[in-house]
Amino acid sequence: MASVGSRSGVAYDARGLVEPHAEMPGNIEIDGVRARFDAADLSIRQINMALRQLIYKDGISDVTVLNPASKHSLAVGILKRCRIHFEGSPGWFACGLIDGPEVTINGRVGWSLGENMMSGVVMVERSAGSLTGAAIRGGDLIVKGDVGARTGIDQKGGTIIVGGSVGINTGFMMQRGRQIICGNAGENLGDSMYDGAIYVAGKVKSLGVDCVPGEWTDADTEFINRKFRVHNLGAPPTFEKFVCGKQLHNYDSLEPSERKLVI
Amino acid sequence: MAGSASSGENPSEVRTVAIDAEVLAGKRFPYQEDITLVADIDLLAATPGPDINWLEDITLLEEDGIPAVFDRYSNSFLKIYFDIPQGQEDDIARKVLIKHLVDGNSYGISLKDIHCKFPQVELGPWVDKSRIVGENWKPTELEGWSAPQAH
Repeated sequence: MASVGSRSGVAYDARGLVEPHAEMPGNIEIDGVRARFDAADLSIRQINMALRQLIYKDGISDVTVLNPASKHSLAVGILKRCRIHFEGSPGWFACGLIDGPEVTINGRVGWSLGENMMSGVVMVERSAGSLTGAAIRGGDLIVKGDVGARTGIDQKGGTIIVGGSVGINTGFMMQRGRQIICGNAGENLGDSMYDGAIYVAGKVKSLGVDCVPGEWTDADTEFINRKFRVHNLGAPPTFEKFVCGKQLHNYDSLEPSERKLVI
Repeated sequence: MAGSASSGENPSEVRTVAIDAEVLAGKRFPYQEDITLVADIDLLAATPGPDINWLEDITLLEEDGIPAVFDRYSNSFLKIYFDIPQGQEDDIARKVLIKHLVDGNSYGISLKDIHCKFPQVELGPWVDKSRIVGENWKPTELEGWSAPQAH
């Protein structure tokens, strides 16, 4: 598609896409259904273009990206089951909107990891920034280190597991899904949440509006034990459960069209 | 009446408040009425990761007083008309939804071919292989219109 204009010298096409003529990188090594390439000298568009070409068209189901070098928006919008491994640390908005991939990251990541994730698994060996799992709708998002503020803000489903501690406003306006926090939680945990459950093993600095301790059930035990087992996270610690007190928001009074926004 | 067409009515003529999957599609699908068509669906095989992953959040709900499962890919409810065995409510809801998606009947999927701006698989991660759509998107051109000079 031809470029249609430019701003500040950056060409873009009718989709608002910069670098309209980006070319596939020439340094991809393919071995059967596996591929790997070094992203150190590639642009964001080239990296994502290579991932889509390999996964969608070339029948590759396992891709390793070396040296992501904190570049933003990597592996966004991949809608197919596959394995992607980042050898290093992606930047902001990594793995946003994915539906199916199982991603491993052996470094750390910036803001908004797995934003709007639909399904799949993302596992980070180190820490992640603020807004991890923002508006996540499904799948498992696991960060073995600490995460920043507003983890799982507007969460609509899925499971966020944090091996360390979380910052302020974790679970803010959470609507569905679950968070499992093995460390401490900052101020205003679960503020204005509609539904869902937050499990915390450490100390909670303060609860947000309408977030209250919840009743532990056998289903909670089964769920946590299963998630720790399937993701090889060892033996789970003892958690306290927090839920919505249902005093601020009330599902039952919502119109059907409003209800759909929170399921 | 809010939501669905009952048997014999033309779904396209029914005025609705809620958006119903069969109204969007213009028809009711066999697996909404026959449990045997979903009995063999393997939920683990249809989802990424070592457990049922995103289907964990899919449960049997109700729309217009009828058991239904929510299809997030079309923002609509898919009603289930057969008797659901007790204790299998969520399992059956998940199977009906996966059947709906695998068969490519979700309204959101049908829109992809026309509206996708970027290459992507037509179906989602619930199938191994799918054709690619969105490779030849062209911006809509209004006859007789041209962009103002400033643009």
